[in-house]
Amino acid sequence: MLLSEQEQLLSYNGEVLVFQLSKPKHVEGAADKTMNLCVRRMVFNRDTKVFVQKSSGAFSMHASHSKIEMICCSCTTDSRTGIILPCILMKKKKRNNFNYILLLLHSSNQFEQSFHFKLDYELKEDIMLFAGPSVLWRHINKLFYISSNTCMVRSAPLQLSSVVWTGEIVGEGTVVLGIRTACLPESEDADEFSTSDRAIWGSEFFGYAVQTQRMLTGTCFMPHAYSRVVSSVYVCKSERLKNQLRISLVAITHKNQLIWFQNGLPKGVCELPFEKPCSVKTAVTSSNDLLIIVSFAFGNSCVVQRRDSLQVASKCQKVKCVLVDDFIGSGSEQLLLLFKDDSNTDVLSTFKITDLEGVDYASGINFKHDVPATEGLQENGLLTVQALETRLQAGFTSVRELQQHLELQKRVILESCRALIDLVEERTHILPKAEEEGLVSLWDDVENPPHSLSKEKSLASEVPEHFTEKLWQRVVGDSLVVGVKLTESCHWSLNDVSLSLVTDQDFSSISPIIKCQSKIIKLNKAFSALAVSSCQIEPPPKRIKLDLHSKDDLKKEFPKRPSGVHLNGAKTVIAVTSLSPLLAFHHVCCAVLLHAKRRKQGNDGLQESKQITVLCGKIVLSLEDISNGRFSVKMLRDNSYCAGTMEDILAVLATAVRFSFQIMSSDWTLTPVNSWLLGEMECTPFKECHDNIFCHKAGNLYGTVFKWSLKNPFEGVLTIFCRNLTVLFQCLHSLTRVLPPSCRVKLLRSGRKSVLTEQLALALEKEMLTSKSSFFSKESKAENNLTWGNEAGKKIDNAPLASLLDTEEGVQKFRKKLQNEREESVLSMNQTMSGALYQKIALKIAEAQLSSDMIVWRLS
Amino acid sequence: EQDCLRFWATHSRALAERWKAARAAGPGEPAATRELRRRNRDAFGELLLSIRGLPAALPTLPLELTVLYNSLLFTVGASDSAIKGEADGIHQGLLRVLEACGTCGQDLSTEELWQKVLQEVTVEELQAPLHRLGALQAAWWLAGRRLGSIAGLFQLLSTAEDTGRGHCSEGQNELLSLLKAWRVPAEGASLPLVQSVEDLKEILCTAAAFLQGLQELEAGNFRTALSLLQEAAGGFCSKKILAQIYTCLGCCTQRMGKPQTALQHLKRALQVDFQCLPALSHAAAVYHELGEMDTELQALALLYEALENKPPAAASSSPYFLIRTELLVHSPTLTSLLRHHHPSEVKYLLAQRCLQDGRVTDAVEHYLDFLALLQGGLQQQVPLDGSSTLPRIPEVFLEAASALEQSGRHQDAITVCEEVIKRTTDLIPRMLRVEKRLEQPECPLPGAGLAGGLLSQKKDSLCCLAWRTAGYLHQGWAWAKLGESKEAITQFSRCLGDLLRVQLHGPAIEPTDNLPPEVEVLQKIRLLSLIGRGTQFLELGRHKEALLDFQHGLQVSPGDPAAASYLVQALWKLDRKQEAAAQWQKLSQSSPGEQEGKGRPLPLYLVSCLEQAMFPHSQTLASTIQDYLGTAAQDTS
Repeated sequence: MLLSEQEQLLSYNGEVLVFQLSKPKHVEGAADKTMNLCVRRMVFNRDTKVFVQKSSGAFSMHASHSKIEMICCSCTTDSRTGIILPCILMKKKKRNNFNYILLLLHSSNQFEQSFHFKLDYELKEDIMLFAGPSVLWRHINKLFYISSNTCMVRSAPLQLSSVVWTGEIVGEGTVVLGIRTACLPESEDADEFSTSDRAIWGSEFFGYAVQTQRMLTGTCFMPHAYSRVVSSVYVCKSERLKNQLRISLVAITHKNQLIWFQNGLPKGVCELPFEKPCSVKTAVTSSNDLLIIVSFAFGNSCVVQRRDSLQVASKCQKVKCVLVDDFIGSGSEQLLLLFKDDSNTDVLSTFKITDLEGVDYASGINFKHDVPATEGLQENGLLTVQALETRLQAGFTSVRELQQHLELQKRVILESCRALIDLVEERTHILPKAEEEGLVSLWDDVENPPHSLSKEKSLASEVPEHFTEKLWQRVVGDSLVVGVKLTESCHWSLNDVSLSLVTDQDFSSISPIIKCQSKIIKLNKAFSALAVSSCQIEPPPKRIKLDLHSKDDLKKEFPKRPSGVHLNGAKTVIAVTSLSPLLAFHHVCCAVLLHAKRRKQGNDGLQESKQITVLCGKIVLSLEDISNGRFSVKMLRDNSYCAGTMEDILAVLATAVRFSFQIMSSDWTLTPVNSWLLGEMECTPFKECHDNIFCHKAGNLYGTVFKWSLKNPFEGVLTIFCRNLTVLFQCLHSLTRVLPPSCRVKLLRSGRKSVLTEQLALALEKEMLTSKSSFFSKESKAENNLTWGNEAGKKIDNAPLASLLDTEEGVQKFRKKLQNEREESVLSMNQTMSGALYQKIALKIAEAQLSSDMIVWRLS
Repeated sequence: EQDCLRFWATHSRALAERWKAARAAGPGEPAATRELRRRNRDAFGELLLSIRGLPAALPTLPLELTVLYNSLLFTVGASDSAIKGEADGIHQGLLRVLEACGTCGQDLSTEELWQKVLQEVTVEELQAPLHRLGALQAAWWLAGRRLGSIAGLFQLLSTAEDTGRGHCSEGQNELLSLLKAWRVPAEGASLPLVQSVEDLKEILCTAAAFLQGLQELEAGNFRTALSLLQEAAGGFCSKKILAQIYTCLGCCTQRMGKPQTALQHLKRALQVDFQCLPALSHAAAVYHELGEMDTELQALALLYEALENKPPAAASSSPYFLIRTELLVHSPTLTSLLRHHHPSEVKYLLAQRCLQDGRVTDAVEHYLDFLALLQGGLQQQVPLDGSSTLPRIPEVFLEAASALEQSGRHQDAITVCEEVIKRTTDLIPRMLRVEKRLEQPECPLPGAGLAGGLLSQKKDSLCCLAWRTAGYLHQGWAWAKLGESKEAITQFSRCLGDLLRVQLHGPAIEPTDNLPPEVEVLQKIRLLSLIGRGTQFLELGRHKEALLDFQHGLQVSPGDPAAASYLVQALWKLDRKQEAAAQWQKLSQSSPGEQEGKGRPLPLYLVSCLEQAMFPHSQTLASTIQDYLGTAAQDTS
C-alpha cells in the first residue's frame, strides 16, 4: 500500500479510520517537541455517496530530538476484554535507539498506550500485529515477539528466512507461518528424500504456535516446494477434523501467481496481471462469492474470483489502498478502492466501493478502470455460437438425410406402380438396371481373378518317380523337425502328403513308429527386387467402367504382373516330434517315409487316388550332435536381413503356433504396424523370403516370426508364428498400443474370409457336380425296360382338363389315365442299381460334402 | 508428506489415463469429444501453470516437459484448425531447462535455444522429454513451412550413429531420412503421453513428404514431387489425407504427361474416400485432355450428382488423434488442387462441353438446368470468391440461346436472347470511344488507378455491348430460320445500330491486328450481322440492299469467304456477271485456310452464328460462274 509514514488507513466496523501524524498548528516555543496523532472516523453516506466524518480524536506525543513515524496499523483482539480494537504501531527514533509504542484506539476516540519496547536496531522485515495485542518481527534469521501481557521481547528458538503469515489457527492459538532452509532428514529414507520437495527446492515451511511454543508441520498449509516462491498468504479457513488440521488458504508468489490451497494441496492457480504482488486478502460478497484482492507494487491491484477456477475479475491501476468492510451497511463485504489523486489532498476524495455485483459507488472518477472480465464472456459467447452452429449443422444434415430418404421412397413407389401397371397390362416387368437406379459402381470391383494355377498344369503329365529333393533335420527347443523337400513337379500330383518316422532299431518294448505331426509349408521365395519405379512406366489405357455404354470392352485382358514368383513356392513336408523321448536312446536312426495319394485322371472327370509310400531316407540323431549344435537353428542378423537357411526358417515355422489376425482400420492407414515390427519388435526380414520377418528382440519374444501382408492401406493380415501363447499375448499387447484407436483386430481361424468363401463356392460346385454326374452314370448304366424317354409324349395335356371333366365319359378317361400314371411311377421307383455302384456314388458324395462342411466350419 | 512432484505426477497420469480410457471407448458424439478435448486442454494448461509457478528444478523437469507436451497436443487438438505461429510453450520450456541448469538464453531465437539446450544439457533424464518436445517443435515448424529449421533440429537430435543410418540411402530426401533415422525415445510408464511419439513421428514423416511434394509440384519438379508424394502415400495418415495425396499424385502425373497413371491415382483417391470429389473433377479434366468426351461427360455428371447429394461436410475425422496431418500441411497449391467445385460450375461445364462437342440436345438440357439453378438465387448457387470458373452470366445465356437454336428451338432462343437484351439496355452508354490500343494503359502516369478504373469500366461496357448485339444477332438468325425475313432484318438492323455506338480511334494501319479482344468480337458480330441481313435481303429479292451489306461486310473483314461468296451471288443476281466473275476469281485465288487460323478463338456463343453465316451453295455458284467464264472465254476467242 502506498501510504506514507504520515498517513495510515484502516477499516473498522464499516468505518474508515484515517490516522494522520502532524505537527500542532499553533507554532510556538515548544511546538517542535510534540507531534499529534489524529484519527478521523469516516462513514459512507449512501445518499450523498461521499464519506463524511463521524468523529475524531487526537493523541499528542513528546518528540524531542526524535523522529516519529507510524509503522503499521491493524485491528486485533484486546486480550483483557476480548474486543477487537484498532491498534497502531509507532516508532520514535533517537540516534541509534529505536523506541516502539503500540497504541490502542477505543471507541471513544481515546488512544491508549498498550506497551512500548526499545531496540537497538530498526524493525524492517515481516512486522505483524496480532491478538494481545502483540507485535512480531523478524530480524536477520531470528523471530521476535512481544505482547501486552508480558511486555517483554521474546525470541523463538528457530532460524527462519521469512514470515508469510501470522494469525489464529483453531486449537493452536496464534501461529506464525514461516520459511526456512530445509532440515536434513533424520529417519526418512534417503531415496525418498531425494525426490521430495525439500530436497529439490531446499527450503520448507514451518508453523510455530506462539503461545504454546510448539512447532507445527508446514505441509498442512502448503507443499514445501512453494516455500521458494510464496511471498504472502491469507488463511481463509482453518478447522480441525479428527485431530487433523484442515486449512484452506490463498498464497501469492514471486512468479506472479495466485494459488489456492486446500488441505495442503494446490487446487487452483491463476496468473496475476501485474508484477510484484505484495499482499493478499479476501472479501465475501452478498452472493457468498469469495473475492481475493491482490495488491501489487506501484499501485496496481486486482480482484480474483473463485468459481470453477480462479479468474481475474477486475484490475485497477493507481490504487492507493484497498480496504474490505461493509461500508454501505448491507450486511456483506465490499471493497473500497482508494485512488491516488495528486490534485486532492483528502485521502477519501477519489474512491470506489464495489462488490463486483450490484454495489458500485464511485466518486471523483477520472481514472482508467478496465474490466477484463469480458475475456471470459467473449469466450463463452464464442463457445455458445460454436455449439449453436454445430446444432444447426446437425439439423441440416438430418433434414438432408430425410429428404434423400423420401426421394428413395418415392422412387420405390414409382417403380412399384410401374410394375403393377405392367402386371395389369400383361407385360413382363423389367427391373431397372443398377446404373439407372443410381447404383453406379465406378470401376470394375473385381479384378480378373488369378488363374488357379493348379488347373493349368496338365494332370496328364507323368508323375515323376523322384518325389523328394532333400531330406534334412533340425532341433528347435524340445522338438525334432524332419523335413522333406518335394520336387517341384510332384506336388501337383500328390494329395494328402504326410511323413512318418520309423526307428530301424529293434526296441521290443515300444512301437517303432514315432508319433509325429506332419505339416506342409510353402514359402514364397524372395522377391528379387521390389517393384522399382513402377511409376515410370505409363500403363496402357484401361477401360474404366465410367464408360457404361461399351461394356464389351471390359473383358479385355489386363496385363499380368511381370512376376512369376508365385510359381516358385517350394513345398516341403515336415514332421515335428518331441525330441526328448528319442534322446532316451542316445543314438537313434530313423527311416523317413512319405505317404501320399497320387492323383489320376479318372474317366468320369473325377480324380482317383492311389495311396503311395516312399522311403525318403534315414536320419541319424545322437546326443553328441545335439550338444555340438549340429542341428540347431542359426538365425544371424546380417545387415538389415536375417540370414538363415531355408531349412532353419521352415524348422522355426513348423514348431511355432500360427495365428492370423485381420486388422482393419476405419480411418487411418496401417503403417504403424510396419514400423512397430521393424522398430519396437526389432524384426528383420529373412533373406530367403522377405515376406516373413524374424524378431530379434531379446527375451521371451526372440524367435517369433511375423508375416504382415497389406490388402490395402486400411486392411491387412498379420500372421504370428510364436512359440507359445504367452508370447502371442505379449505381442498383441504391444501391438494394441501402436494401432490407431479405431482399429479392429479379428482372429482368423484359418485363411482369409474372401479366400475361404471362394473355396466354399468351389466345394459346393464340386459337390453338386459330383451328385449330378453320379446320377447320370447311374441312369446310363441302369437296366430298365420302361421307356423313360417317351414319357413326354404320354403326358396329359393339362390345358383341356376342365373340358375333360365336364362329361362323365371324360371323367372316366381321366381316371384311367391317372391310374396308368400311378402304376408307371410305382414301377420307376423300383429301379435297381448295383451295390458297388451305389457304394461308389455314396462315397464320392460324402467326400464332397465333407470338404464343403470343413470349409463352412472354418468360415464360421 | 505431500510433495508437489508426486502430486503433479499423479495428477498428470490421471489426466492422461482418463483420456486414454475415453479414446479406447471409441468415438462418441463429435461435440462431446470436442468438449472433452477442450476440458483436457484446460486441465493440462492449469497443471503446467502450477508447475511453472515454481522455480525450475532438474528433478521436476521431465514431468514438466511431459506435461508441456501433452498440453500442447491438446491445444492443437482442441482448436481443430491448422497450427499457426510459434509454439511459445516450447520456447518457455527450453528457457526453464536452461534455468534449471543455471544458464540463461533470454535473447536467443528458438533455433538457437534448441542448439544451446541440446548441446549443453546432458542430463540423462531430460533427453527423452526433450526429444519428444523436439518432435512437437518440428510439427510447428512444418506448419510454418520452416523445413530448414526442422532439418537443423533433427541433426542435433540424432546421434552420430543415427545419422550414419540415415545417410546410407543416396538421393533420398534429406529431411525425410533425418526424420526416419531419428530414434523415438521410449515412453515411460510414469509419464504417460496423450499421443505417442511414434504416432507423431509417423505423422511428421507423412506431412513432411506431402508438404515437400507439394512444394516441388509448385516449383515444377515433377519427378521429385512424384517420389515425395508416393512416399507420403505410403505413410501414416487418415483416409481423407490419403485421398488428397492420391489426388495430388494424379495431378502430378497428369502434368508429367502420363494421363493413364494419373487416372489410376485418381481412382485410388476415390476408392479410399469417395468424398474426395476434387479427384473426380481432375479425372474429368484428364479425360478431357485425352479427348474421351463420353467418359468426361459421365465423370462430370457423376460429380454433379455427388455434389448435389452431399455438400462437402467439414467433418473432423478420428477425434482421438490430436495432431493430424491436415493440421500440419497447408499450402496454396493444395488448396487450389482440392478446391471443391460448386454444383453450378459442374453443370455449366457439362453444358459447355456438350455444346462444344455438338451434342445439342444434351447441351440444351444442361443449360436449362443451369438457368434453373440461377433462379434459386445467384448467391447460393455460384461461388463469389473470385475462384469461380464460370464465365459472365450473359455469356451463359447466349450460349444457351445458341444451343437452343441449334436444336431447332428458335422461339426459345429468341426469348433467352430477349432476356440478355433487356438486362443490358441500361448498361451501355450512347457513345463509346475506344482507342485501338486499349490494351496498353499508361501505368506510370499519376492517377493511373483512376485511369485503370475507367479502363475496366470501358471494357465492361464493351462486353455489355457485345452481349447485347450478340443477342440481336442470334434473334436475327432465329427469325431467319423461322422464315420471318422481315423480323430478322429488324433484329440485324438493331444489332448494327447498336454497334454504331462504338467509335474506333487510333492509327488505321493493320485494322485486325492488335485490336482489343472485345473490339475484335464486336467486329465479328458486325460482320455476321451484315451477312445475315444481306441474306435476308436476298430472300426478299432486295438484291441491291443485300449487295450493300455484303460490301460492308467485306470492309469490316476483308477477304471473308462467306461475305465474298454472298457478294458474288448478289452481283450475279443483279446481273452484274462480269463483276461477279472477277470477284469470284479473286475469292478462289486467296488460299482458303488463311482466314481460319488467324486471331483469337471466338466466344462459344458466336460459333453457331459463324456456321450459319457460311455460304451454303458454293458448289453451284462455282459451277455457274465457271460456265459463265467458259462461255465468256469462248466468246472472246
